[in-house]
This record gives sequence, structure tokens and C-alpha cells, in this order.
Amino acid sequence: MKKRLKLTDISREEDSQLTEIVPDDLIPLPAPYDKPGWPADFQQLTADQQQRLVCNLDGFVALGLPRPRNEAEEKKYTELFISGMNKLLSRENNWTFLQPLLLSLDYCARCQTCNDACHVYVASGKNDLYRPTYRSEIFRNLVSRHARRRGKLRGIFGGKNVDLNWSTISRLYELSYRCNLCRRCAQACPMGVDNGLITREIRKLFSQELGWAPQELHEKGTVLQLKVGSPTGMSPDVLRDNVAFLDDDFSTSIGFNVSTPWDKEGADVLLIHSAGDILSFPESPAAFSILCQAAGIDWTLSSEIGGYDGVNYGLFYDDIQLARIAVRHAETARKLNVNKIVMGECGHQHKALMTVADRVLTGDLNIPRESAMTFLEDIVFSGKINFDPSKNDFPVTLHDPCNIVRNLGIVGPQRRILRYLCPQFREMMPHGVDNYCCGGGGGFSVMSGVNFTNWKVNIAGRMKFKQVLEAFSDRPGPEVKKYVCAPCLNCKLQFRDMFSYYRAGEKSGIKCGGLAELIVNAMADIKQAFISWEE
Amino acid sequence: MISGIFWPVFVFSAIALFVIGTAYRVLSLSRQPVHLRWELSPIPHVKGRGSYGGSDFEEFEWWKGPRRRSLLAPLAYMAVEIFLLRSVFKNNKRLWPFSLGMHLGVYLIILTAPLYVAVAIILAGGMPSSDTNSLREVTYVLGVTGYLLGISGVLGLLVLRSVVNDLRSFTSASGYFNLAFLGAVFLSGINACLSLPDFTGTVGQYAKDLITLDPTISIPFLLSLHVIISILFLIYLPWTNMSHFIAKYFTYHSVRWNDAPRDAKMDTELRRLMGRPVSWSAGHVQADGDRSWIEIATEKATDEKTP
Ligand code: SF4
Ligand code: SF4
Repeated sequence: MKKRLKLTDISREEDSQLTEIVPDDLIPLPAPYDKPGWPADFQQLTADQQQRLVCNLDGFVALGLPRPRNEAEEKKYTELFISGMNKLLSRENNWTFLQPLLLSLDYCARCQTCNDACHVYVASGKNDLYRPTYRSEIFRNLVSRHARRRGKLRGIFGGKNVDLNWSTISRLYELSYRCNLCRRCAQACPMGVDNGLITREIRKLFSQELGWAPQELHEKGTVLQLKVGSPTGMSPDVLRDNVAFLDDDFSTSIGFNVSTPWDKEGADVLLIHSAGDILSFPESPAAFSILCQAAGIDWTLSSEIGGYDGVNYGLFYDDIQLARIAVRHAETARKLNVNKIVMGECGHQHKALMTVADRVLTGDLNIPRESAMTFLEDIVFSGKINFDPSKNDFPVTLHDPCNIVRNLGIVGPQRRILRYLCPQFREMMPHGVDNYCCGGGGGFSVMSGVNFTNWKVNIAGRMKFKQVLEAFSDRPGPEVKKYVCAPCLNCKLQFRDMFSYYRAGEKSGIKCGGLAELIVNAMADIKQAFISWEE
Repeated sequence: MISGIFWPVFVFSAIALFVIGTAYRVLSLSRQPVHLRWELSPIPHVKGRGSYGGSDFEEFEWWKGPRRRSLLAPLAYMAVEIFLLRSVFKNNKRLWPFSLGMHLGVYLIILTAPLYVAVAIILAGGMPSSDTNSLREVTYVLGVTGYLLGISGVLGLLVLRSVVNDLRSFTSASGYFNLAFLGAVFLSGINACLSLPDFTGTVGQYAKDLITLDPTISIPFLLSLHVIISILFLIYLPWTNMSHFIAKYFTYHSVRWNDAPRDAKMDTELRRLMGRPVSWSAGHVQADGDRSWIEIATEKATDEKTP
């Protein structure tokens, strides 16, 4: 029996965790993942980790926040938290999201209609801690009392005040990284209140005021990208070497001479991949090179710092870093004098550059930006390439990256391609703008601190894994190879973690890849199979 | 029994206060600075695509094509949302019948107001009361239905919020108070309606006396009670989160469905906003209270260790 959580529990001063996640509470998975004792117990925190780090939430640690050295440090951060709330409510500091934030803070009817829309909450067996409303209501309470001085009024009306202390802010910090920012709950809310947005504002407060952010997103993420060019650490030279190697490798293996162009001024298209694809899913950038070449596109990649990695982790936690990276992307395109920027298969790149940064990219930085989905659709149906769909005659399902589909409304193009090229294409349920997040959204796919991967694959990704298995329920065995098409690097990283954890390749014959790979695999002029089923 | 000039003063100043409160809400929400785009599908005004959540971005080189917009689709979407509570139906079946009952109750009672005004105008024009019979019959049916639906909705919501754990832990005293206050409006209404021999005739006459500023105005106690509770509720409404009927316009049109690319007016505002100094404290922001948002956003970050 789960213990019920009160809002005020977040400020409990003792060091204990608020809730415990028990495998038996989680929603069941279909066979063969439904055996008793599966999954095995979660990875426990070591005594050393418990000694060094703040571990006061749910038995998982994503952020590795060190324990405060003394009371003065606790006080300093608590005061910064208060000043951060004030800045979130100010035009100067937070014009970027002030109106959506105020609307979401002030008009929640506490009806809990949004709860069951959240895959994290539902998959956890409805643990109170993961309600979309739990962290929002706590934050609302703190803002009301400390930034708007409405605590007394609340007292008169019998509302419970959440105490603001070190326990509150350290728990809230970790809790702000238990939400994928997928906004499925916002779609469900009758008022239009956006708990995903509130979570992002909490993360932003921690980052922009306290200087707290996950290392993977900040130091090893946006800071590294602005300095070296990519969170992967790849410098321009290494990048070009890697891509040249891929060109050679694929030219040999599939018998199609591919050569990727670099820094071509005046090209029609500047394609910006997620550089992580080059390292983790090299078939994806290779497939784009093959398709652009075969379709005769006038295109280029950039080897400028700021122009070869489309990721923008600022979207997950920090407006300033978001803007800095988006501006660098646009500056690269302006310098190359291209007609348009085409996104790689990366969901948050789409959202960051195509919409969120739209109002930052003023003047000549406003270069047209196109989705990879429409770009690929145009190539596939241009008649310039011959296809043989029977080469893709295996079960395929499509994952809808939240940032491309729910947030940008790009639903149809990828489906038209799959219906044309994949005879055994089938939808997951629900899909399209009602999809469930893969569990890697909000930056999680690149975060693996302490035992967080365990949480991601067991809770955040559980609903999606269940959907994938259900989509293939007519061919469940490993003897039939099956393909989850996820046109987003971060989603693919999350699927890879999940499939490896659940051994889905071995048990069910499932692998995950992008959209461009399926297209190349169906090219009639390439005799060799492009998609490899080797683990 | 209250009579005389009190009534017009009370009723018209209450309406004025309601209008002021509502206008204040509207202005404070509409005067917020332009924000970064944060749309969310489905956006029904995207013609031909809105129904399944598609956007202009589904078009190859979307910036070259016309932005085809539907005027009707968002209206139809909002009508279903407002009158049938689509989101609650889809996502919270347990709450839906009661929430729907309460909202329909409110809508029906609102609908009776112009009908009473029509009765009042007819009476003020010197026509006999019998000329308003059919109008009053319709008004009576709408009113009784509204009160009954409203009462059952409010009662259901009060019970749900008191007994269901999920709802109870998120409902504050003011949440219960707001529901009870609205319940009192419905309850006093049905009480007056069923107790007074000619309820609609009395209200019609009262409305006529109000608009003609008749100093001899006088109404039965039960109706006075209903009017006073309703009017106090009206004054209170804009200052609570029940004013979501205003906010909802902005959450949908200014945020969820706001897919407008920049225009010249927006550019001017954006330049002004980005030119203002920023004071975030974290090292990587490099704000000193003097440097502007745009200066900060167009430079590189430096290394900074998180604790
Ligand atoms: S966020 Fe929306 S759905 Fe969730 S409790 Fe608040 S008003 Fe209800
Ligand atoms: S944004 Fe997504 S993950 Fe976060 S609370 Fe809402 S539904 Fe859950």
C-alpha cells in the first residue's frame, strides 16, 4: 500500500526520502516482461552516495547535488530561491515566459484532470509524487507566499503553507527532473494550465539564479557546445574526420559512392544534424547524405562551431543558454548564405529552433527553418529516387517525438513516407499528437547520473515500452525482426537504454532507428541492405 | 424588507464592480509582454489540418505558402469545450457529470438574465403583464433547470472534493468556500422560485423597477435573499480563480494556439524587452543588472561548476 503524500511533506526537515518506488506498484508489461520478479529490484544507492549526495526524494538520484556544508550555505540557497521566484515574475528577467507562467500559476482549478494523461504518474502506479500537479502546487504555494506575500491571506482561508527550507528546495530541484516536459498533461487541462511549463520554469529558476543544473545539460551540454561546438566534445576537425570515415565506410558497405559536402557557401540547404547521431547512430547522418546526393539537393553541412550540432539543451532548463545556442545556429546559416536550415532528426532541435527561438532570431537571423520530416517527404515523393518497398517488409511502428508532433504539429509527412515504403507499418495507440513520451524527454536521454537510468527505463519509459510491445503483439517472438522508427536522436537514445535494459532485441527482436534509414533501405538502386539487425 | 433606492444603487454598483474586476483581469492578462512561442497541438484554426493536430510546418517550405486559417473551427472547438467540457469528459469522467451540471447551471441562469430584461422592457413599455406570459414560461423552465443542475453539480463536486483523496489534498478552504458560495446562489434561487407564487412575474417587475429607477421598488424576502447572494457572488467572482472564463481565452489564444510568426509590431516590442537589463544571479548568465537580455544572449557562456 503506497503512502499518501501531502504537499507539506516536501518540506519535512529530516533527511529521509519522501516515497519509495516498489516494482510491484508499476503498471504491468506484456509477456515476456511480466514474469514475477521482473524487473529485478532497483539499483540501490550506495552508503557513500547517500553520505555525499542529497538523496531525499524517491530513492533515485539524477542530479547528484552535494549536501550543504553548513547552515549558512543552506540559507544562501534558500534566499537565492526567493529572489529567483521574484525574477520569474518580473518582466525584465522573464519576459520570455511571463504570461504563460502567470496563467498556469493563477488558474488551476485543482481538478486533477491532467493526472492520468501523465505517463510517469500512471506508469509509477499513480505515485502521488509524480502527479503533474504535485510539484506545480508546491511551487504555486511558495510563489504565493514568498514572491507575492499572500501567505497571510492563505492562512486566513485555511490553506496550508509549504515551508521554504533546504529540504524543500533540494527536493523540488530533484523533482523538477522527474517530468519529461512532454506537455501531455497541458493538452488534457481544461484551463490550458501547463504543468510542463511550470516544471521548466522551476528548472530555470535553479539554473539562472542558483546556478544549479544537471552536469549533462549544462557543463557537459550547453557550455561545452558553445565552447567546443558540441556536447559530444567533437571539435570541427574530429567531426570532419568522423564523417569522412562514415562516407568511406558506407560507400564500401552498400556500394553507393557517398560524399558529404562541407561549408558550401550559397547552398540551398544547411542541414544541421544532432552530432550525437554521428557517434551513436551513424546510419542516420549517412542516410541523409545518401538521400541528398541521390535526389540532387544543393546542400551542405557546416564545420563552424555552433553550426554542426543541432541540439539545444537550453530548451530543457535555461532561456539564456537556449537563446545563445539558437543565435549561433542562425549565425552559421547567415554566414554561409544558405536559403534554409533543415533540422536533423532531433525533436528538441525542431522545437528550439523552429518555434521557441523564433522571437529571438530577429532581423537577418530569421532564416527559414524546415523540418526533417517535410524535407524527407519532398525527397521521397519527388520521383528522383526509385524505391522498392518490399525491401522494408518487416513490422514497423512509429514513435512520435513530443517536440515534433505534440509541440510543432508535424504529424502527417512521416506517416505518408512510412505508409508508402513500409508494407507492415502499424500505429501505436495512442499516437500522433496524443502520443506518449518515450521517457527520454526534457533532457533525460542524456542524463544518467547515479542511478537515474534505472528510473528512466522503469518508470519514465515504461508506458512507451508497453505501447511498442502492444504494437507488435501480432508478431511477438524474436524470430521476426521489428523496427521502431523514432525520428529523434534523444528518443533513440532512450529506446536504446530501454531495449538494452529489457533485452528487447534478444527477447522480442525489436530494434530502434530513424526515418532516413528506412528510406535508404527501400532504395531500389542500392542492392545491399542498409539496415543492419546485428545488435 | 429592503426597498426603495437601495436596490438600484446596490445592483448597478455591483454590476459596475463586476465589470471593473473583469476589465482589470483582462487588462492585466493582456498587458503581459510578448513571450516566446509555446504552442501546443491541436491548433484548430489551421485549416484542413487542425482536426488531427497538424500545423503549417507540415508543408514543404511552409514559409512560402499562404497561412490558411479557419474561423469556424476554433469557435466550434471552444463551443464544445465550454458547453460540454470536452477535456474533462475525455480525461476525468468521474468529475465530468458534476462539473457539467454546475457549468450548465451557470449558463442557463446567465441566459435568463437577458430574458428578464426583455420582460422588463415590455412592462416598461406599458404592455400588460399577460403579454410576457410565454417569455416568462421559457424563462421559468430555464431558471428551474439551471438551479437544479447547478445544485446537483455543486453538491456532487463538494462531495467528491471531500471524499476522494486526490481531490481533497489539493482543495483548500477557499476552494470549498467558492463552491459553497455558488451553491448558495443556486439554492436561494430554487427556493425563491418554488416558494413564490409568481416568481418570473415578480422578477420581471423587479427588473422593470430597476431599469426605470422606481423609488418604491420592493420585493419579497426570499427574492431579496437570492438577489443579494447572487450580486455578492458577482462582485467576488473576478477576484478568484473562478475567473478562469477570462483566463481561458488567454491560455488558448495567447499560448496554446499562438503560432503567429513575428511581425513589425512584435519586433518593436521584442527589441524593447530585449534591451532591458537582466539581474539573474547565476555565474553563467553574466548579468550585472546593467547588461541587457540581448547582450547576454548573444555571447558565449563561460565554464561554471554546479555544486
Ligand atoms: S492543471 Fe488543469 S487539469 Fe490539472 S488540476 Fe489544474 S486545472 Fe485541473
Ligand atoms: S509534462 Fe509530461 S511528464 Fe511532465 S507532468 Fe506533464 S505529462 Fe507528466
